[in-house]
Amino acid sequence: MPTRTILAFSGLVLAAVVAGAPFVLNEGVLRLATECLLVLTMAQMWNLLAGYAGLVSLGHQVFIAFGAYALFLTSGWLEVTPIWVLPVAPLVAAIVAAIIAFPLFRLRDAYFSIAMWVFAEIVGAFTMKSQAVGGTSGMPLATSKLIDFDWFEPTMFWLAGALALGTIAALYRLMTSSFGLGLMSVRDNDLAAMSLGVDVRHNRFVAFVLSAAGCGLAGALSFMGNLFIAPLAAFDVNWSVYMMFIVIIGGIGTLEGPILGVIIFFGLRELMTGPLGLSGGWYLVGLGLIAVIVMMVAPRGIWPALRDRIGVRLLDVQRAAPRSSPATVASTVSERSAV
Amino acid sequence: MAPLLSVNGLCKRFGEIVVADGVGFELTRGECLGVIGPNGAGKSSLLNLIVGLLTADAGSIMLDGEEISGLPPHRRARKGLGRAFQIPQPFPHLSVYENALVAASYGAGLYGDAAASWTMEVLQRTGLEAKADKLAGALPLIDRKRLEFAKALASKPKLILLDEIAAGLTEPEVERLVAVIKTVKADHAMIWIEHIPHALRAVSDRILVLDFGRKVLEGPPADVMDSAIVREIYMGLKADGVA
Repeated sequence: MPTRTILAFSGLVLAAVVAGAPFVLNEGVLRLATECLLVLTMAQMWNLLAGYAGLVSLGHQVFIAFGAYALFLTSGWLEVTPIWVLPVAPLVAAIVAAIIAFPLFRLRDAYFSIAMWVFAEIVGAFTMKSQAVGGTSGMPLATSKLIDFDWFEPTMFWLAGALALGTIAALYRLMTSSFGLGLMSVRDNDLAAMSLGVDVRHNRFVAFVLSAAGCGLAGALSFMGNLFIAPLAAFDVNWSVYMMFIVIIGGIGTLEGPILGVIIFFGLRELMTGPLGLSGGWYLVGLGLIAVIVMMVAPRGIWPALRDRIGVRLLDVQRAAPRSSPATVASTVSERSAV
Repeated sequence: MAPLLSVNGLCKRFGEIVVADGVGFELTRGECLGVIGPNGAGKSSLLNLIVGLLTADAGSIMLDGEEISGLPPHRRARKGLGRAFQIPQPFPHLSVYENALVAASYGAGLYGDAAASWTMEVLQRTGLEAKADKLAGALPLIDRKRLEFAKALASKPKLILLDEIAAGLTEPEVERLVAVIKTVKADHAMIWIEHIPHALRAVSDRILVLDFGRKVLEGPPADVMDSAIVREIYMGLKADGVA
């Protein structure tokens, strides 16, 4: 399949770029790139849930926080470099998601969104009260002395790059599988999907748990890069707001949309706070304005509108119909030989 | 021959509104039951009760000797129910092929090449093969109706439920659709709600008349269509002894 080859080749080129970038870029740019890649991963995960399973979460910061706190605590208890205990972050986030899915899935639409937010706030409030995890003032990464700081920024960037590329590759594989077909059918029309035998509730559950795990891992990496965690930063609702902005601006329910959204999101921030010298407040005003305009002009986001206009498909997950059945081919051949 | 579908004493009400009031009937393979009745008589609700989008207050629904009234819609679909909605319900951002593939993969439980070739066979039979790679959201009405039928058929159902599939089509389009439906009739049991009498007469073996959620008549198409009750319900002619 030529598309597969092109995608595999692009993947290799991108992997090589990620591998080589730390040797070329300075530390500031590298930190920004790491942040972009982690937020891209989170946005893809939020999109998996909102864009494909129809669940709009305003409480995804809770999975970021669970992942990050799990990493900080486990690393401290075991006294090992945080990198070696990274798997604990997605695991804890996934377990939390699997448990809260039971009460939360009884709620639909806005009620689900609000319940997620409330859940995140409750866990955040408990965290602030818990002196074992540093309370309101938070805690530093206990094992930061084990980190080799000559290679810290490049390692963070490599991990973030591997996570972002791995996430997109995994989502592409998922969407081209028959489970992905079920997810996309639910995205388009859940009534028709269940009438054709798709277990909508099961699909939503799997998407919810995967989405939580991905955010847990990305969140753990993000706070590991800061070497410090505090509840106000970890349980900040802005995490969800940023994911939502990126996905809605870029294109909900597409794999390309969040990529485009992240470029616009960070590009605008760097442009406005850098060369234009405006304060962070103006950046949020600009972002809000863009979101409103996009929602009015292209409600499905910039990427779907762009794709329809220029006819380019990047990460195309559409299954092509088989050209013709063997019987038809055989008859064509015999007709030709008869002539 | 044991009935494929056996519905007994089906009841459903929303407050004061009764959509099913003790409805019962039987259906065997190869048989088509036409359902008629005025707007609000409970025709679509009857289909929704059978496929599980509505839960019955009372009554039983046996498919192939198995009680299905307690199952959620997706389980009933996998047991062999294929439904074409009155208002077409395509997956607009998926291709025509993918739309039918959802039914083949989930409803019929097929994988890989088997799913792909069965899907193409269904698209050929429903005249959608040439449009297989088109997005379903961009189809004209006749093709959306065909796709509804194709999705129902691709799930390899024992029972096909058609809800006003011919409504809104031109006369030649209705004829072509009826021809397609006739080709699959022998292998399936079928329930068909329709307001177009000649289309229904061409395919149905029996016709069931619903009014206010009650079965008021069931019988051969010619008898039912000419009956006093149907004339009263549809044309407002008063017949004594009938509420």
